[in-house]
Amino acid sequence: MPNDPAAPEVTVAIGRWAVVAAPARVRTLLGSCVGVALHDRAARVGGLAHVVLPDSRGDLDQPGKYADTAIPALIADIERVIRGKASGRLVAKLAGGASMFATGAENPARNIGRLNQDAVEAILAALRIPILARDLGGEGGRNMTLDPATGKVWIRSPGGQGREI
Amino acid sequence: MNTLGEDRGRMLRTILAMGSEGASRALSRWLGMDVRLTLGEVELVDLATAAGALGPPESLVAACAMGLTGGLGGAMLLCFEDRDGLALADLLLRRPVGTATEWGEVERSAAMETANIVACAYLNALAAHLPTGEGAGLAPTPPTFLHEFAGCLIEFAVMGQAAELDRVLLAGTTFEVVGSGDLGWTLLFVPDAPALASLSAALGGPA
Repeated sequence: MPNDPAAPEVTVAIGRWAVVAAPARVRTLLGSCVGVALHDRAARVGGLAHVVLPDSRGDLDQPGKYADTAIPALIADIERVIRGKASGRLVAKLAGGASMFATGAENPARNIGRLNQDAVEAILAALRIPILARDLGGEGGRNMTLDPATGKVWIRSPGGQGREI
Repeated sequence: MNTLGEDRGRMLRTILAMGSEGASRALSRWLGMDVRLTLGEVELVDLATAAGALGPPESLVAACAMGLTGGLGGAMLLCFEDRDGLALADLLLRRPVGTATEWGEVERSAAMETANIVACAYLNALAAHLPTGEGAGLAPTPPTFLHEFAGCLIEFAVMGQAAELDRVLLAGTTFEVVGSGDLGWTLLFVPDAPALASLSAALGGPA
């Protein structure tokens, strides 16, 4: 787990994103949503987007909610913090995308975790952002924390020990 | 549907209160004591607000999760903090409250059976007051027991609405033993977006 318990932490709500510089950390809780952590090692700056759905289909009102709008918004905020282009500097780590319980037969929650994963991976590939680690799928929630000082991401499951990815 | 008009909100609250009454009767028989379910706020909230519906999002809660089958889709969750859920198991097993200290097979089974009874009664009462199309065959799926972050449970439960709506509707119901106080349990009814539209239309509002 992060070794500086006193470091400030920013919590990202569902469908939002945030960017922090070391020593601050950023974290979020994930069920079927996918957490996208982007890190600029040289600048010791990182950000986390909590992606709810894969495709905005032109809805620009809540950019943090969709993979295709949240990731560009996250990168734009990182570029504001580092005061330069992030192209070629960023790496990614992903977590979430669980399928926690059966809901109604037509409920998109049944497959939304997988659709979110696929959308995020395709967008990062198109942006040439390498994915260094994944902690995806399964049936349980996750608490995801990014430390931009190191780029390390910790995942904590309910009642379990934390693990680094 | 991103707003809940006053009339439609009142009608929805009335029909969900009938569900709570039906569940009160069934749970009272099941537990052998007079239990009252009270419907809380029925309102549309943004996703970030919804995440706190079961308390601090990072708190661990026990939950019996069920989907809906029949004329409406969505999810129902019977949730409790460990202490309150384990007390339920003790009540059902006729043991002194405090005997159960962890979620073993018997305790989980007791919680899931209770969830099934409460959800069936709630949905039966709801179905009786809905047009045939929405009410036909309305039933919960078999419960799944979860020990989970509260915020993650809510996130997953509301996904059927969040896929189409910017704001989501949660109908929360609390439990009390008459004369003894709050049991610390919460029943959440979370229709998905098509079900919410059907309910709205059935209550006379726009779909």
